[in-house]
Amino acid sequence: MLTYEPDETIAHRLDPRSKLAVQIGFAATALAHTSPRALIALTVVAGVVLAATRVPPLETLYAYRFALVILAIAPLVAAATLGPPWIDVERGTTSARASYRVLLILLVSAAYVRSTPVRHSRAAIQRTIPGKPGQVLGVGVALVFRFLPVLRGDLQTIREAMAARLGTERNAAERIHLVGVLALTRAFDRADRLSLALQARCFAWNPTLPPLSFSRADLPAFGVAVALLLSAFV
Amino acid sequence: METHRESVDPVADDVIKSFARAAVLAALLGATAFVSIPIPFSPVPVTLQTLFVFLAGLYLGPVWGTVSILLYLAAGAIGLPVFSGMTGGLGVLVGETGGYLWAYAIAAGVVGLIVHRGRELRDPAEEPLPILVGSLVVATLLIYAIGTGYMAWLLELELGEAIAVGVLPFIPGGVFKLVAAIAIVKSKRITQIR
Repeated sequence: MLTYEPDETIAHRLDPRSKLAVQIGFAATALAHTSPRALIALTVVAGVVLAATRVPPLETLYAYRFALVILAIAPLVAAATLGPPWIDVERGTTSARASYRVLLILLVSAAYVRSTPVRHSRAAIQRTIPGKPGQVLGVGVALVFRFLPVLRGDLQTIREAMAARLGTERNAAERIHLVGVLALTRAFDRADRLSLALQARCFAWNPTLPPLSFSRADLPAFGVAVALLLSAFV
Repeated sequence: METHRESVDPVADDVIKSFARAAVLAALLGATAFVSIPIPFSPVPVTLQTLFVFLAGLYLGPVWGTVSILLYLAAGAIGLPVFSGMTGGLGVLVGETGGYLWAYAIAAGVVGLIVHRGRELRDPAEEPLPILVGSLVVATLLIYAIGTGYMAWLLELELGEAIAVGVLPFIPGGVFKLVAAIAIVKSKRITQIR
């Protein structure tokens, strides 16, 4: 699974905000261009980003395997035509080039995921988005991070309990209903206890955040981000 | 020694309650990424994500339902493994399934608007069946339309081809989830925030 890993790479030392900027710039220009020359240039940039973050390429591709299935099927579907000549190579290659840039965007975002701990991303969100929306998003993301394993455990328990009572023999609609109602009841119970705890601790709109600071290394990263963003309009 | 002075800006009680539910529901949406239920006559197993998108609109209303989905998207964007296949990253949000994900936020908002018709939360179990079904059908159509439209544009597919890849395999699951959402609401086992 793709997740943050502590390391000593350049990307790990960068401020999360400059890494986000690079990703957005890369995605913008990749969405704007599909010519072969642009794809070569994008591949080189993506390669540099992956090397700078020491992302293992094969593991990352495996993590995105479900997305890759659609990316692989799309050109085949585009190429297939009803009636002669049955296969339209040109439409297939157009779609294949479009799919390939999506793969590059996924790989570049994997570099961010590997090099940025959640608390840094959270601080970046809260410092970049002003006012209460930023606070809601930042605190909310931190809570999602905290509750994700808990709720996954809940779901696992529900499914095991259902399987033990031969729930797996029931029809699909009943199973979806059961899992849904039990998971939501438990989740809202947890949420209500959480809100009580937040009230008891005087939950405020202006909590103290971990410090973030731009360093000298962020300057070139921002330069790259701006260059990528501008290249979307070329 | 320098001291830092800042007044505390406490959050109102009713906002805390809605916010906590929105955040936990976002986490639940992420947790369902690893649950899949096989259904008859379809090669694609059902994941429960759209079910909880519906429930976000039904129980949290237009504002906090949308916030809940946005929290889910933000958590995925910074790399938590909450998207299908337990992936994360900003790339997924602009990738081929990105349209569906963004449409979730709109869909939850629309369900909330139709069912609650304002910021005051109602109990969805008290609503007449046609309104509930109508809101969920509209939400489902929105998700398919936006998601498939974006996929067709991104992968340079014709609309018919995109529908074959992105809609047809999911229709049986969609019907099951719609029925399940209504059944959950009508079972009255979930209490609304007071």
